[in-house]
Amino acid sequence: MTITQPAPEPGLRHRPEKLNPAALKDAARELISSGGRMQMVYAWYPQPGRIELRYVASATGKLPFVIWRCEPNGPIPSLTEVAPLLSWYEREVTDLSGLEFTGHPQPQRLVLHDGAVVPRPPFDPGYPADARIVAQNQQSIPEISGVNGDVQLLPFGPVRADVLESAEFLFFYIGEAILHYQPRLFYKHRGMEKRFEGRTAEGAVVLAERVSGVGSVAHALAYCQAVEAAADCVVPPRARFLRVLLAEMERLYNHLYYLGHLCHTTTLKVGEAQGKLLAERAKQLNARLTGSRFLRSILTIGGLRRDLSPKGWLEAELEALREAYAVYARHLETTDSHLDRLITTGKLDPKVAFDQGATGPVDRASGLDRDLRRDHPYAAYGELPVTVAVRTEGDAHARAQVRMAEIEASIALMQRVLLLLPDSPIHSECKVVANSEGLGWSESPRGTLFYAVHFDDAGRLSRVKIKSPSFSNWRAFPFTVHETNMMDYAINEASFGLTVAGCDR
Amino acid sequence: MPNNLLLLAFLAWMAAAVLAALRQGLPLARILLALGSIAGIIAAIAALPHGTLAVVLPTRLAGDAVDFQMRPEALWLFGFGLAPAALACIFSTPKRDSEAGWLFGAAASLIGALGVFGVSHDAGFLIAWEIMSFGGAVMILSERLSSDAGRPVLFMLGLLEVGAVALLLAILLLAGASHSFAFTAYGQALAQAPALLLASVGILLVFGFGAKLGLLPFYEWFPTAYGAGSGASGALMSGVVMNAAFYGLSRGLLEWLPSQPSLSAGLGVFIIIIGVLSAILTALYAFQQEDWRGLLSFSSAENASIAVTMLGAALLFRGHGEALLASLAWVVALLHLAAHALAKGGLFLTADGVYRATNRYAIFHTDLLRRSSWIFGLGALFAAMSLAAMPPQAGFVSEWYVFQTVFQGFRLDTLAARLTMALAGAGLALTVAVAFATYVKVFGIGLLGRASAVDGAAPPSSVISVGVLGFCVLALAVGMPVWLKSLEIAVNARFGTEAAQAMHDGFLLVPLTAKFAFISPTMLVVVMPLLAIFPIVIVLISRRYAVRRVPVWYGGLAQDPERVSTTALTFSNALRTFYSFIYRPTEETERETHAVRYFVRRLTFTHEVAPIFGPYLFAPVTRLVFKIAGWLRPLQSGHLNFYLAVIGLLLAIILALTLF
Amino acid sequence: MPQWTLIGLLQGKQTAPWPLAEGADGQAGLLGMPRYHPEQCTTDCKACADVCPTAAIAMQADGPASRLDVDYGRCIVCQLCTEACPSGAMTTSSDWAFGARRRDDLRWNSRPTPDAQPQSTTGFRRSLHIRHVDAGSCNGCESELQALNNPFYNLHRLGIFFTASPRFADLLLVTGPVTYAMQGPLRAAYEAMAEPRWVMAVGTCAVSGGIAEGGYASGHGLEGVLPVDVYLPGCPPNPAAVMHALLMFLGRAQQRVKGGQLAE
Repeated sequence: MTITQPAPEPGLRHRPEKLNPAALKDAARELISSGGRMQMVYAWYPQPGRIELRYVASATGKLPFVIWRCEPNGPIPSLTEVAPLLSWYEREVTDLSGLEFTGHPQPQRLVLHDGAVVPRPPFDPGYPADARIVAQNQQSIPEISGVNGDVQLLPFGPVRADVLESAEFLFFYIGEAILHYQPRLFYKHRGMEKRFEGRTAEGAVVLAERVSGVGSVAHALAYCQAVEAAADCVVPPRARFLRVLLAEMERLYNHLYYLGHLCHTTTLKVGEAQGKLLAERAKQLNARLTGSRFLRSILTIGGLRRDLSPKGWLEAELEALREAYAVYARHLETTDSHLDRLITTGKLDPKVAFDQGATGPVDRASGLDRDLRRDHPYAAYGELPVTVAVRTEGDAHARAQVRMAEIEASIALMQRVLLLLPDSPIHSECKVVANSEGLGWSESPRGTLFYAVHFDDAGRLSRVKIKSPSFSNWRAFPFTVHETNMMDYAINEASFGLTVAGCDR
Repeated sequence: MPNNLLLLAFLAWMAAAVLAALRQGLPLARILLALGSIAGIIAAIAALPHGTLAVVLPTRLAGDAVDFQMRPEALWLFGFGLAPAALACIFSTPKRDSEAGWLFGAAASLIGALGVFGVSHDAGFLIAWEIMSFGGAVMILSERLSSDAGRPVLFMLGLLEVGAVALLLAILLLAGASHSFAFTAYGQALAQAPALLLASVGILLVFGFGAKLGLLPFYEWFPTAYGAGSGASGALMSGVVMNAAFYGLSRGLLEWLPSQPSLSAGLGVFIIIIGVLSAILTALYAFQQEDWRGLLSFSSAENASIAVTMLGAALLFRGHGEALLASLAWVVALLHLAAHALAKGGLFLTADGVYRATNRYAIFHTDLLRRSSWIFGLGALFAAMSLAAMPPQAGFVSEWYVFQTVFQGFRLDTLAARLTMALAGAGLALTVAVAFATYVKVFGIGLLGRASAVDGAAPPSSVISVGVLGFCVLALAVGMPVWLKSLEIAVNARFGTEAAQAMHDGFLLVPLTAKFAFISPTMLVVVMPLLAIFPIVIVLISRRYAVRRVPVWYGGLAQDPERVSTTALTFSNALRTFYSFIYRPTEETERETHAVRYFVRRLTFTHEVAPIFGPYLFAPVTRLVFKIAGWLRPLQSGHLNFYLAVIGLLLAIILALTLF
Repeated sequence: MPQWTLIGLLQGKQTAPWPLAEGADGQAGLLGMPRYHPEQCTTDCKACADVCPTAAIAMQADGPASRLDVDYGRCIVCQLCTEACPSGAMTTSSDWAFGARRRDDLRWNSRPTPDAQPQSTTGFRRSLHIRHVDAGSCNGCESELQALNNPFYNLHRLGIFFTASPRFADLLLVTGPVTYAMQGPLRAAYEAMAEPRWVMAVGTCAVSGGIAEGGYASGHGLEGVLPVDVYLPGCPPNPAAVMHALLMFLGRAQQRVKGGQLAE
């Protein structure tokens, strides 16, 4: 039974609407034609043997999120035709929960690798506790035909040059020209969503922090807000403002590192060194502020674990960082060799971005004006002025420019937070209600992040679904690589700024 | 005795042609063709270095007696061309069901070639020339290897006919100027003829023979025509037939035309330019081919162009009074074609071996080297090395001589001549480099690689033929000092010099003087195996240490080497892009998607390079002809009264002519 | 167009003097592993063991008295135990230099065993090439490893480099709990290295599996997968800790942790 009480803040209220499997396609079509967008679909087992699907969608503008509930009795029709971005979610449901979708154009395995031996779908309650998947390392390579097998294949990975995350990329190329590109992810799939099961709400915050290391705050924040929505508790003002501060500190070091890494791919060595040095300074500020370079071990259900005292020193440090950054940004924007490599590289069409579910700076660089902080405010964002940077070119330069504008906006926002920081307790008691569910979200440095949590009758977590922004953006990325060239690939990938851990979970 | 052997060859080939036409006793026909070829080879060996004695043939043409005499250079080219021909004929075309037609065509080609080499009456020469072309066309058409063999053969015959018309015009002009149809009457008898006439004849001869040799713009029939036939056809057409065409050109330019300095120099420059440009273009197009036959055919055109360039150099040197250098250039052309005939024949028969093993002529990873006998691989390697001009093979010898000749250009005294030779050297260097890459591609991609889809091996017929020819290539290189002796008299007769003796000094091969440079395949063949002892010893010593072997590192996964290896297209891709102003390459990617266009089901990729003369020369000419035909169309009005009126008009005109 | 060379030169030297000379190591304010003071424990209190998410603290009841086993190889530095402890037995500290040669050195022991002889790394002391393999980490360890080459830490000045191919590598540095899909590639990377070769487990996930341990897709770190020569727990270990562990491995710095306690 779902408990929905009037939420204290607008936007957090959601009431799952029950739909028949047959009515799904029409409902999705209607939603999309009215300007909405599907966000995700996941499956869970309320009881052993009974599977339930949840569809989450966003309506236009600032309307609350739409949640549909569906109880299938066997394979149900795929919604890929209506909303192409759901293709990966449906494949994940098939892999991990065992439900088939009919009419899916690419019904191959996604999360579990080809040939991996699994006794049952992992989320099936009957999955034996100590059973581990056995990999077969069979790869099915798509057939790219030429006259004589002319097209050459470059399988790159999963162990890649330099210190990088593990993922495999398949290039079908002739010399410099890439005909077709396919990333093969989920080598890093740890099954984190299932690790939540059975834990207490408070105890699982540290787990949420470690789903994606450079998105610790965003994940922990979305998780905490999901639990707080389910438990219907109110977070005190100081904690909310400090949460904004932490989220923006995370955005800052991520974006600064992104600029340094982008310079690495355009081989601007001093620019790379400078960007990474600024990111290091931001991380050291994190350590001074919270004791953790990744801002971990601070967030908890109902507020923060302990108080922070940023006033009196953080303002000056942020200002110094902002000045150093402003000089750096000005130099970057006047370096022709750097800009030459970014302009018109990896253009992402707005329609493709929308259809494939691109999110975050990638989305905003293609003209789609969406930001959770402004459209569905959480923490203290509703009381702060949020500037959203949007560009329309959709190329690598636009993505970099969006992030550069966000750095400036973040620092300004943080200064405002430090100015307005109220005095209040930093934690309020949160009692988890049995059999409740909640949806939480946050705008991570890479885009929209959702956590959907379900509690069982003992008040422990029974299902947590994580929709990470990298999962969405990796799906859109290949469409900017087909028919481009090899030299631009690294620059394009760096301009997206994605993590693999967030996608693979 | 040599003449008897040649007669034997002729009769054997005629008998084979009759048997093939009657579709009876085809194995006997093959044996007869091979026997005839061997008789021809023995005749060549026996008659060199003097040449055969002139014989008067029993027929008379246009009231004249027809002489038959094979000069030493004709015997040289004929003999080397027959070696691959013999092997091609004995093992025949891989398409067994169309063997009869093929044997007939082969016999016709051989008989025609014999006539071209020896007949000294111009009408007889032209008849033999046409029989040769006819034989080639019959060979290709009868094989039915591709469903659309008609168009390419028609294109080939069309261009060859253009050449034949040029030849006809040239011979008519010569005959008119010298009032005789015998070739012996040409030469110095034409010393008083107007220079324009002689120059026109020279140009007509170049284009006439160039149609078969593959000079620009005539090389465009090569890939499609050769590509419709088999490797055996190619071995014949690139061997004895091409040598015959070159012999005709050489005789025409050096014997039929008088040796006036300005004429020789001018023609020499012209031929060098045409030759070098043809060589560059054909080499570049050869590199982009993905079919054995197309690639090897373009390469034949390239090698013929290089020989023609040397012929032009001989003319240029002669025009400037450097008889010794002229003879050097001429001998180099002969050496080049000899090496080419053997090696190209070997590779065409290798292509047949690939076809017999895999049922395709495409250049793709076949792994045949590992699966077939080592003799096959070694023979193919020697042939490829020779064509890529790698030491110690015969192709290296001739290429080295080519460049040594070109380097001598500084001895010429006019700026134009020196510039021409310098630019020719640069162009030839480009050609040789591209040719080297081409043969790396042919051998490396065509015979190596992993191929799980292929399980055949080269059959014994291919093993024997390729092995023999590869061995012959090496023997030609190693024994070059001996082979050069057989050209001494020919050089003396043609240029009056002792160049052939001056080209070798003991075991060394030198460009007329040992002070400039030297090579020695004879000694290399001894030294190279000795040098190999050192790495062999290292390998043996290292066996004592345990070596841990691990798979190739791809990034953590075991990759299928077949999938990730270089393909024929990607190997050639860099040059394709770099020379795109010549190739004008086109690519097309076709994506088949599901209902939602984001999900690609299949991707098909096709690519092409565009020929130069096809769209820019032949197509406009064809359009012009069609236009003219359109103007004349009213003559076919279909009305009976109109035809009667035309007939009446003609009768009136005839009446008027006779009466007035 | 800006003169980047000039800009870089005008920045001056940004590298921290540490570890080659005394000076700030950039980790001011950082909270490290919790310090265990068993004498402060109240009897039968296992508040820290109850709250530890990775079971790094376990209650062992053997004999008359029960004691806590603290395994720093499983510690994810979440500080929950320091908040749960009522008596100050678990306190926060800034101990992060936990690079150790033996797995046992990370287990709390009041009487640690003497050091074993380290493997000889002569010849690599001033030139070490590392191949990093990500076996399923959360990207935090990668972020810190990538920071090693920024101007502040500047790993190159120590003669230590990250290399692209395992054929060129001397040390295999592994992060992540070894997911099922990365087992094969990880082993292939190890096999592809020429001897002498060593393995370093960076991060609690690689040492013992960390928070992602077990389940249907994750392993328990490198134990039983590869022979490990250096262990460095931390979640993630900061770049200075990684540098210290590498120098310790090369014999250029002292191992500071013995018996789960950090020597001063």
